[in-house]
Amino acid sequence: MAKCKSCVVLPFLVGLVASIVLGWWGFPKVLYSQKTQPIRFDHVVHVEDQAMACEDCHAFRDDGSYAGMPTNANCVGCHEDVQGEDPDEARYVAEYVQQEKEVEWLGYQKQPDNVYFSHIAHKELDCTSCHPDVANMSTPPVYYENRLSGYSKDTMKMWQCEECHAQSGASNACFVCHK
Amino acid sequence: MGLDRRSFISLVAGGVAGSLFTPVIWKTLDDVSIWTQNWPWIPRLQYGEELTFPALCKLGSDAYGVKVKTVGGRPVTAEGNPDHPLSLGGICPLGAASVHLLYSPSRVKNPKLKDGSSFKDITWAEAEELLAGKIREAGSNVAMISGDETGSVTDVLSGLVGKAGSDKSFFMPGESAPAAAALAMLGGDGQVGYDIENANYVLLLGADALGSWGNVARNGKAFSASREKGVKFVYVGPAQNGTSAVADSWVPCNTGTEPVLALGIAAVIAGTSRDRSSWPGFASFAKFVQTAYPLDKVAEITGVKAAVITGLAQELVRAGRPLVLTAAEAGQGLGAFELAAGMSLNMLLQRVNAVGGVRILPWAPKVVEAAADRKTMFANDLVAYLSSVADGGAEAPALLMVYGANPAYALPNLTKAQAAMDKAGFVVSFSSFMDETAAMADLIMPDSYAFERLDDAYSPYGSGQPNYTVVAPVIKPVFDTRPAGDVLLVVAAKAELDLGFESFEDVVKAKAEALGADFDEMVEGAAWVSEEFPAQDLALWTTPLQELAVAAKDGKSLALAPVQRLKIGSAKIAIPPFNTNAIRFDEMLGNDMYVLLNAATAKNLGLKKDDAVKIASSGGECKARVRIFEGVMNDTVVAPLGLGHTAWDAFSRDKGDNVYKLLAADTEAESGLSRFATVRVTVSKA
Repeated sequence: MAKCKSCVVLPFLVGLVASIVLGWWGFPKVLYSQKTQPIRFDHVVHVEDQAMACEDCHAFRDDGSYAGMPTNANCVGCHEDVQGEDPDEARYVAEYVQQEKEVEWLGYQKQPDNVYFSHIAHKELDCTSCHPDVANMSTPPVYYENRLSGYSKDTMKMWQCEECHAQSGASNACFVCHK
Repeated sequence: MGLDRRSFISLVAGGVAGSLFTPVIWKTLDDVSIWTQNWPWIPRLQYGEELTFPALCKLGSDAYGVKVKTVGGRPVTAEGNPDHPLSLGGICPLGAASVHLLYSPSRVKNPKLKDGSSFKDITWAEAEELLAGKIREAGSNVAMISGDETGSVTDVLSGLVGKAGSDKSFFMPGESAPAAAALAMLGGDGQVGYDIENANYVLLLGADALGSWGNVARNGKAFSASREKGVKFVYVGPAQNGTSAVADSWVPCNTGTEPVLALGIAAVIAGTSRDRSSWPGFASFAKFVQTAYPLDKVAEITGVKAAVITGLAQELVRAGRPLVLTAAEAGQGLGAFELAAGMSLNMLLQRVNAVGGVRILPWAPKVVEAAADRKTMFANDLVAYLSSVADGGAEAPALLMVYGANPAYALPNLTKAQAAMDKAGFVVSFSSFMDETAAMADLIMPDSYAFERLDDAYSPYGSGQPNYTVVAPVIKPVFDTRPAGDVLLVVAAKAELDLGFESFEDVVKAKAEALGADFDEMVEGAAWVSEEFPAQDLALWTTPLQELAVAAKDGKSLALAPVQRLKIGSAKIAIPPFNTNAIRFDEMLGNDMYVLLNAATAKNLGLKKDDAVKIASSGGECKARVRIFEGVMNDTVVAPLGLGHTAWDAFSRDKGDNVYKLLAADTEAESGLSRFATVRVTVSKA
């Protein structure tokens, strides 16, 4: 009987542990592909050395909705020609500015199209409450793309919005976010 | 210790149990649910900076300013431009769909040369060399057709034809030409406009001013503003339409006989006690209308009761600032005499060059020396010319150039027009779309679309004041297209014909300068408006007085009332894909279009709702289904223009039938213009 009991319990435990390990460690590696930004953008150089503010490049529309990533129009004022010795800057000028091609930046928090998010309504919060603190990064973080859904790993889920709204007393009615 | 069956099941059970404590199942389910909403055909929002740019809409018969909103540099929608005098913030159904046409499946994406029954792609250099060679070969045997009465590209094209030694510069039919000829009959000279905003009584004789006639957006704004001011709008026409639906009253009138009604009203007004004996031409005019158009005769021809005619005359006299606007329901087809009839009524009411009346606008300045001026072009009748070519009465052009027009689809005497184009030695189409004319052309040099090119517009027909608009491109060409104005100048240079300009921008600058407008301010969005109206020395109908031609009733045929509904397109544009949802089930079912008959007429013909019918005239035949609608005069059939395309795309091709086939034109002896507003047709079960 003892032998019989160990041949049931032990495999069960092995399966249980292996499954938990694979589920928490292996599954994310399978689910997400890793991508890097097309050009390494050094935020530190711009924020600390050039004293630029987030709003200088990341502008919102009048209604506070997302206006998209900065375009070449934001950059050519300084980078029509190569300014420094950073090879990524040289590549940016050669491959994008001179060829009038926009960089396909990867947005870490881009929400689905059916979500309306006004930055003005959330202006009391720090940018880093939701976004990675890229202002202190010389190399943007790795972008994890969900192979199934196609969204960034960092895309905020609805429960996170609802939780924050509930805690701060804001309405959780559907139309607040889904116009 | 081997892995026996029991151990394996235990291992799997452990694995399953463990997975419940990981995100694998829950996360996968969540992501799958998101993935199921991520189909590639679901529209995506465009992100980026939002801007608006002034632009022009020329898709209908008029031209007016719109504002194009761009997001991230890409146009997404067009809105009315509150700063433009012909929009005042309004927009027409074609303007509302205009941005989407940028990406229409009908766009011609690059130059094409006829290759047997299809086309082969060629480069711009090849196309320009080819056309320059054809111009040199053709000598003076060239002709041009333009569908743009307002823009300077027409001047460049006409200049090219003129420099080659030809006077064959034509516009597509419209009401500018008969209006100008009518004004000339009364001794005037200029472009006819209507100051609807400042009138306090507007009698619309046939003009579907709120649906398709003239400056539709501006008309709508003027009507809207009139509600608070107590201005009365009266619509006269054979069928209820968008204008009659909101006008203060609708006076049913037999198709195309609105000018007769105008003369009947004139007879009543001329008979009032006011002394007009000193007015030039009044005596003979009054005698003519009172003799030729007594009330009972007018009532019989028009179907309008004598008391109603008298009432309209009294209202006009009492109004103070009345305005009479005469037009065909379809915005074309009236002769000059017919338009002069309505104009005479305005003269009798002393409403010419008066605030709230008919305004005479100066002609656009001519900057391309070799081009025919607008007045000359309006006098050249395209329908008569093509009919003559088809019949062998005139030599077919060795080279025919078509810009902004679709004569292979949208002309009366259509069979003859198509035959004449077939006889032309070489046909070139400057079209943004694969329309019927492009499809039959030998060479297509695709024009950049409205928002991709510099363009201008001088006082579209109906404008109440002289105005000029210049717009810069909103976006770079989406496909390998080029603005026709620039292409024509390049080709002219290659053919060694000097038009005096190197770029189209120079032409527009010269026109702006000639008007005293600031080009730089205009491309930023400022419209030029003038309040100068050339003085006119008019006399009541100075040409030989004669009765208007009215198609005789024969008891078997019906009067055809062709109508324009801008949502389904115009003479230039087929159904915009964006507008297909606006077409009602009782306007089109499947691929069958509906024509309207009232119940009495349908009963006489043995027809009932949804019956398939054949409509025939001396010009051709159409197929349709019957819709019973009591807002139509007896013995009248209302049929929509703009359907039945054989080219374009799946949104338009073979949808309904082409009513232009039914429009048989005759030539007005005095003016030489074609008239086709009173066509009679037979309607029988198909």
